[in-house]
Amino acid sequence: MNKQVELKNKRIVASDHVKLGQKNQKGQTYTDINDIFYSAKQTPNFLTGSEVIRAAIKVASVGTSVAYPITPQSEAAALIGELYAEGYVDEYFRGESEFAVMGQCAGSAFGGHRVFTTTAGPGTLRAMENFPMWAGSRLPIQVCVTCRGINSPLSIQPDTLEMHYLLETGMLVWHAETAQDLFDFILKGFIVAEQPDVHVPIAVCCDGFFVTHTKDTVELPPEDICLTPYDPYRNPQPVMDMETAPIRMMRDPFVMKSNYISYATHASWQQEIKAAVERSRKHTIPLLNGLIDEENTDREILIVGSGTAVSQSREAIRLLEAEGVKVGLVKIKTIRPFPYEEVRQATKNAKHIFVPEFNVAGWLAREIKANIPDNERVYVGPQVAGGMTMPSEVIVEEIKKHLGMEVATRGTLG
Amino acid sequence: MSKEKIVLCEDLADVMPPEYQELVESATFGDQDRGWKDIGSSKELIEQHSLCAGCPESIAFRYILASLPAPEDTVFVGSTGCTSLVFPHVAVHNIHSLFGNQNAIASGLKRTLKSRFPDVEKDVVVLAGDGATVDIGLDMTMQSWFRQEKFTTICFDNELYANTGGQESGLMQKGFVAKMAPKGKNFEKVRLAEIAREAGCAYVAVLTVSKPNRVEQVIKNAVLVAREVGPTFVQLYTPCILEIGKQSMEGLDEMKDSETIGGRFVQKEYISDEAQKLLDSIKEETKTRKKAAKAAKAAAK
Amino acid sequence: MSRMNIRISGLGGQGAVTAAHLLAMAANKDGKFSISNPFFGAEKRGAPAESYARIGTERIYDRGELVFPDVIMVFHPQVITMQKSYTAPFYSGIKENGLVIINTSADLLSDEDHKTLADLNVAVLNHDATKLALEIGKTELSTNMAMIGACAGVTNIVSLKALDGALQDRFGKRYVASGGTATLDEAIKKKYAKKEMLLKANMDTIIKGHELASEWAKTQNLQLVEV
Repeated sequence: MNKQVELKNKRIVASDHVKLGQKNQKGQTYTDINDIFYSAKQTPNFLTGSEVIRAAIKVASVGTSVAYPITPQSEAAALIGELYAEGYVDEYFRGESEFAVMGQCAGSAFGGHRVFTTTAGPGTLRAMENFPMWAGSRLPIQVCVTCRGINSPLSIQPDTLEMHYLLETGMLVWHAETAQDLFDFILKGFIVAEQPDVHVPIAVCCDGFFVTHTKDTVELPPEDICLTPYDPYRNPQPVMDMETAPIRMMRDPFVMKSNYISYATHASWQQEIKAAVERSRKHTIPLLNGLIDEENTDREILIVGSGTAVSQSREAIRLLEAEGVKVGLVKIKTIRPFPYEEVRQATKNAKHIFVPEFNVAGWLAREIKANIPDNERVYVGPQVAGGMTMPSEVIVEEIKKHLGMEVATRGTLG
Repeated sequence: MSKEKIVLCEDLADVMPPEYQELVESATFGDQDRGWKDIGSSKELIEQHSLCAGCPESIAFRYILASLPAPEDTVFVGSTGCTSLVFPHVAVHNIHSLFGNQNAIASGLKRTLKSRFPDVEKDVVVLAGDGATVDIGLDMTMQSWFRQEKFTTICFDNELYANTGGQESGLMQKGFVAKMAPKGKNFEKVRLAEIAREAGCAYVAVLTVSKPNRVEQVIKNAVLVAREVGPTFVQLYTPCILEIGKQSMEGLDEMKDSETIGGRFVQKEYISDEAQKLLDSIKEETKTRKKAAKAAKAAAK
Repeated sequence: MSRMNIRISGLGGQGAVTAAHLLAMAANKDGKFSISNPFFGAEKRGAPAESYARIGTERIYDRGELVFPDVIMVFHPQVITMQKSYTAPFYSGIKENGLVIINTSADLLSDEDHKTLADLNVAVLNHDATKLALEIGKTELSTNMAMIGACAGVTNIVSLKALDGALQDRFGKRYVASGGTATLDEAIKKKYAKKEMLLKANMDTIIKGHELASEWAKTQNLQLVEV
């Protein structure tokens, strides 16, 4: 569906915000995102994902954040509260349910603030009605979704089934593999989502516990530089602050077929949201260095995955290499927009494509199968769910079994 | 917003719709003493309406829009229902979001406007029906009051869900027969005004829209108290003549009946001490100002 | 397999939806197949409200808006004069050799409209259904009855007997106005203490509408489609 895009070393248009170069009340200098990531000195830190969320929001010039407790994002949400108390976030409070929180976020975004919030699993579903509302209202809110199991039964542990529900909300959906990705995606996500020709909400997903509670090395830029602020007057729709004409303006009116408007308006509005998500590609590709990462995709056996499935696969590939089995890797970073063309190209040579997932639905495998030729090459799995770990050894075993290779008995792998 | 921001560009002014031109010329923006008496001599902030002939909501809208202290700096948050069919005609920014979430939207909106414009008084006013306020939105409505969010909540109470065909709502009277209550409603009309008071509203008023003077006073009070003291709540009886089997001309009588002695819509107000102090000082100040203006006018003659 | 597709354009509260259901129910009683459904945007009195009756000799599956109708009925002049219609012009999609019935006392069509419809060989009947409703049904709410009668009078798509049966089914048990608004129920209750009187008044309106329309049809040299 999308045209072939060449990965050149081009950068997103630099920020032209009037405050670029000025300092905020905390002494941080408003800096272009490219300089934050490619010019500034990065220092290694050993942090959990929750701490990384705090580190990112500390330099993100966020206007409002609204919080609600649910494992595994409560810690991150509370840390943002501390940032607010310290003066790095303008407005922060605890809402009464995820449905309410997402409405409160929407109100802040309608009023012109950059908004950030977090949720997980049952909270995501409780909030669900809000996500297509955000997209249709063109509110570039960022929600960090720390994927967790969905009831019933209850599980606080990581499961990516909830991401499947987000696919048609009209939001951008990015999937971080590690805490490093999480930091990068949070900051870059604001910049892409807020582009006037995009201007839709973004869900930056990471696998709860595996990322939020796991300490890992992360390269961070200095704390005294921060994102340029959100400019609400670059919104394709008027801000609700009674500062700009026209004053006869209703946000989110009924555009169904009625006395005044044809339902073609509703249909074209929905198509515009889809188009906005597509338009984000050109901003995302240079910032994220491509919508996918590829390693050795000339090989006949490939693993294609996103999130923690990629981390586990990296180790599995190492184990297989030691046994002389060569496997390539495709890491998908953005689920919406989906990198159809990139995946098609990357899987061109493969005869066996494995799609490990942390959910029972196999939604990522389905996206891939629907879009590549000869999709019987795709092996759906291995799959784990409800918070189970996917040991790399299990991936190795599945691959070997499927290829008819001898599988060593448990306990004697490697 | 100052009126300067809506002044029409000279070159294009003549191709703007006449209603918009009139709005810029003669709407009572920036007039401290604006009120319902301006209706008829100035441009109203509502351009026609598409409600049923004789609908009390329509008159309520007109009084409210005429009474806002600072419409040029007011943003409405509405909810789904008959009222949302009117908002496209209103010359004040307004937001329609999900059914029942109006007080959540207003909470975020008010805080952000306060943060972005610390030196300008930006009034946020919620206007929703009874279903949105007391049923599906109750928790968000009450929680915004618990949190002391500084905005006004107006409830157009027609004692049922009118737009969807007349189903039972929490504010319907006990025993009334309606859709989804074929044997009559089982429980009493929810005492929302008392709940508002207990939940932390600094100013609460219940009345019908039969008397414009009273509506104007209540709306002004509610908005001014919300600016400085705490959340405010106004419950207006705006009967749906269609759903109670009345004719277009009978809305006013219905309201008058309901506010006779012992009636459920006899006007009542709950005012916190702090709110009362504020209202008294505003009253004094207004009196002094008007007296001085009168004296200055006489001296000029 | 033959079919007749009827599109009704009216204003909310006039009974356009009920009319389509009555035609469809009557068709069933005559041994035909039918499907009827409404369409409206704002749930508001006075807002455009359309309904569709599909009647045929074989089981019907399609539903939704009738984009290419054989018959168009306009229940209120404002559909045309105030563009309270979901298509512009209101007769968009009318098939060749079709029929348009408009509730009006005066000609509402422009010269261009007349020419376009004539080129399509579409017959146009101006039928003062409101007047009939007030005279015989004693309430403007019977306008839809006068229109249904006219439709049947010209097309013979349903028999008067079947329409009578449909009325009994629909109104015989309890007063039910289409959207169910209490005011319409009250208005009907006030006029008709006994439901038999209501049913009779409606049927009489249908019969008179039928009579006027079939007389008109005779003068028009129309080719009837047998369904």
